Amino acid sequence: MKLYLKLALDGVRKNHRLYFPYILIGSVMVMMHYILAALSSTPMLRQFEGGGFLRAMLPMGMWVVVIFAAFFLFYCNSFIIRQRNRELGLFSVLGMSRKNLSLLMLTENLLTAGASITLGMLLGIALEKLAELGMVRLIAEEISYEMRIDGISVIRTAVLFGGIYLLLTLRAIFRVWRTDPLHLLQSTAVGEKPPKANWLFAGLGAGLLIWAYHLAISIQQPLEALTTFFVAVVLVIIATYLLFIAGSVALCRLLQRNRRYYYKPNHFISVATMVYRMKRNGAGLASICILLTVVLVMLSSTLSLCIGAEDAILTTYPHDVLIETHIPSREQMTGENYAARRALLRELAPEQVNVQEYVRGSVSGMFTEDGIIIDAGALEDLSMVVMENIGMVYIVSQQDFEQLTGRTYTLAADECLLLTSRMDYAAPTFTLQGGAPLRVQAVMPDAWQLGADAMNMFPALTLVTPDFAGVTAHLAIDDNNYASGMEMLLAWCYAFDVPGGAESQLALYDPLKNHVRDLSFLRRHGGYSFSLSIREMKRVGFYGTYGGLFFIGIMLSIVFIAAAVLIIYYKQVSEGYEDQKRFAIMQKVGMTKREIRRSINSQVLTVFFAPLLLAGLHLTFAFPLMWKLLMMLNFSNMPLMIVVTACSFVVFGVMYAAVYKMTSNAYYAIVSGKQDNT
Amino acid sequence: MSILEVNHLQKVYTTRLGSAKVEALRSVTFSVEEGEFVAIMGESGSGKTTLLNILAALDKPTSGSVLLDGQDLTGLKESAVAAFRRDNLGFVFQEFNLLDTFTLEDNIYLPLVLAGRPHREMQQYLSPIAHQLGINDLLKKYPYEVSGGQKQRAAVARALITHPKLILADEPTGALDSKSSDELLTILGDLHRLGQTILMVTHSVKAASHASRVLFIKDGEVFHQIYRGDVTNEQLYQKISDTLTMLATGGERA
Repeated sequence: MKLYLKLALDGVRKNHRLYFPYILIGSVMVMMHYILAALSSTPMLRQFEGGGFLRAMLPMGMWVVVIFAAFFLFYCNSFIIRQRNRELGLFSVLGMSRKNLSLLMLTENLLTAGASITLGMLLGIALEKLAELGMVRLIAEEISYEMRIDGISVIRTAVLFGGIYLLLTLRAIFRVWRTDPLHLLQSTAVGEKPPKANWLFAGLGAGLLIWAYHLAISIQQPLEALTTFFVAVVLVIIATYLLFIAGSVALCRLLQRNRRYYYKPNHFISVATMVYRMKRNGAGLASICILLTVVLVMLSSTLSLCIGAEDAILTTYPHDVLIETHIPSREQMTGENYAARRALLRELAPEQVNVQEYVRGSVSGMFTEDGIIIDAGALEDLSMVVMENIGMVYIVSQQDFEQLTGRTYTLAADECLLLTSRMDYAAPTFTLQGGAPLRVQAVMPDAWQLGADAMNMFPALTLVTPDFAGVTAHLAIDDNNYASGMEMLLAWCYAFDVPGGAESQLALYDPLKNHVRDLSFLRRHGGYSFSLSIREMKRVGFYGTYGGLFFIGIMLSIVFIAAAVLIIYYKQVSEGYEDQKRFAIMQKVGMTKREIRRSINSQVLTVFFAPLLLAGLHLTFAFPLMWKLLMMLNFSNMPLMIVVTACSFVVFGVMYAAVYKMTSNAYYAIVSGKQDNT
Repeated sequence: MSILEVNHLQKVYTTRLGSAKVEALRSVTFSVEEGEFVAIMGESGSGKTTLLNILAALDKPTSGSVLLDGQDLTGLKESAVAAFRRDNLGFVFQEFNLLDTFTLEDNIYLPLVLAGRPHREMQQYLSPIAHQLGINDLLKKYPYEVSGGQKQRAAVARALITHPKLILADEPTGALDSKSSDELLTILGDLHRLGQTILMVTHSVKAASHASRVLFIKDGEVFHQIYRGDVTNEQLYQKISDTLTMLATGGERA
């Protein structure tokens, strides 16, 4: 056993260029998993309002890390095995049996797994508090500062990663038993077939990418974005792999066919060598490209949300307090029921400023060219219901609207104003199904929002009419019977601000909540129809959600970046070993060292910056999609988002370049270092 | 007129720490006339490879000079040396040194491409050479698809395509079976008869017996040389092996 330990340690030390990064990346994965696991069970999250969302998201993040780590460690491990085949072959020629080799592999894997898990766990425990502090900063809460070790998370992490490493060990042993030692010895010397251009896949990749881009930029409705997003993501991933694996080879072959281009000193060697490089590295490069894109999309959108949160909160909740309750008829608004409720509100919240109140009718249905279909029965008859056209119409009287906006309008009985949000409207008339067409006097885009609509994700129109009763006469008021299918909800909305900031807002929550029964007019669906929004409470929820998203975004970015760095590093190292021989030959047939270095440099640069450029392109085309998705969350600051996205890309570009620089030094050390020995 | 003049070439290798010194070449002097086919023989460690590396300007001598066509190689800068090597020298190596990422055709074109020649001209140059070497049908193949002898013929074609003043061959038959070796030596002999100057380093008596002159190197010096005169390859073979036996048994200089 001692011999195996010595041999294994020796193997790791001799191949430190391969093993140290492998152990390091394993530790990073273990660390991130532990941190996420520990955070999700931290008592702090249970203590405050916005924690619920994070508690739900963190386990998802954990699983992303585990699954990603499994794939990634397998990738790295097979890379190491490939490089070590010769050594194993030599051992077996020197008389080690398969059993010996298996034991050696076992020892070696135990060593690396043990080192990775221990190191990762220690780092995780050390940094967990830091991560918690970062998380708390983002979601703006106060907490206690004490170090802790979360036993359950330690066990969970150890078991999951132990499992991954066990699988790796089994595979290594399986390989030893399956392959024949002489084959191991010669495995690196086998001639490589020239890659064939797969035109079908290359074309398919380009086609899919164009399709995905087209999908992304042709989206109109935010809701459409949600469904399209996943389709586009899948398409882009497939297209990226196809393009890097098949497309790149096809492109090189195309260049080779153009004799005038190909037979030039600058292109000749680069293009011919590139075919092989791309064949070997296509998958790795595509992975880097996708990782980069994911990280960029994740970070730039969550960061935009975080920075723009205050705007979004103000848009969504223009008043400190908003109360909405459904009423069975418009007459209620003049009766004593109403007076009693107003008085109660005055009593519960004595200091009210900027009070706004109005009655709002709302119907949902499917928008057509010049109106909306409300009847669910009528919708069933239509051959196809277009999901994106489903939306809401709010009906407000001119009187209420003038009071709300402080402006006056002149409208005839058959005229209306239309306020659009998340949609466009162009027809000269508007018809509520079953009613008379109303002439549209003016369309105001995103002109005015109040509570209910702002929280919505659907396209919506607000219809302002001088004849509220006449326009809604044909609609029954929904009293929970659904008798006709032609119904409207009628709600009393009451909003006001309170002086004295956050404290006084929060102080109102309990008293109002306790009087729900007395404040609401109607019971619907077995409960009181009553909704209460206090901005300060929503703000906590907002930051809990978006700050939490950003936090998870950062954590996953660290994992993905670490992975991308390692792929780059391994590629540099393996290329270095392969280029040694070529370097020598080229020198003998009449190239200067500078020429060779320039040629190799240009190839390596192309190979490494292609993923970054394609990720940038992906990001550019994903932007409209991201924008539409954020719009659903009431984010509306396009310039901010452009700046944040561009900055994220630049920051990543710089980091990527730094990684390239560092790893290319390793590459040149290999290429020229070995040069001296021959 | 001599195409290559080598004067008092000395090469001393110093170990990394600078303590031990190894003299690979002590004082090598010889010249090669235009149209000659010279073989240089010697045992392992006699300095053959060092000599060839210096002749190819891949290595610099400690002292002495190498004049190729009247020009001193040892004083040139690296970029000038590379261009000079491309234009005036053709190389044939034991390990072929074909780039595995190129077809045979592109491997042969490599020196011309590096010299910036137009593609049409390359094709004109290639077809007679490929025909002469019998590799016309193999041009589109990759090195891993053809035999060692075929690879070596492609390497010879690559050496010839620039119409070099001198071909340097380093153990060209070292990695070939006897049939391929014979074919290659016949090709070199034919080239020689067409007027090509060739300098070949080898320790195969068979290979050397195809040359017009054989130089023997021992302990970093030219020890002996044999001119072919009008003897046949077989007779020359006999003479070379006698000389080698004599060298090995420590006989006096003839």
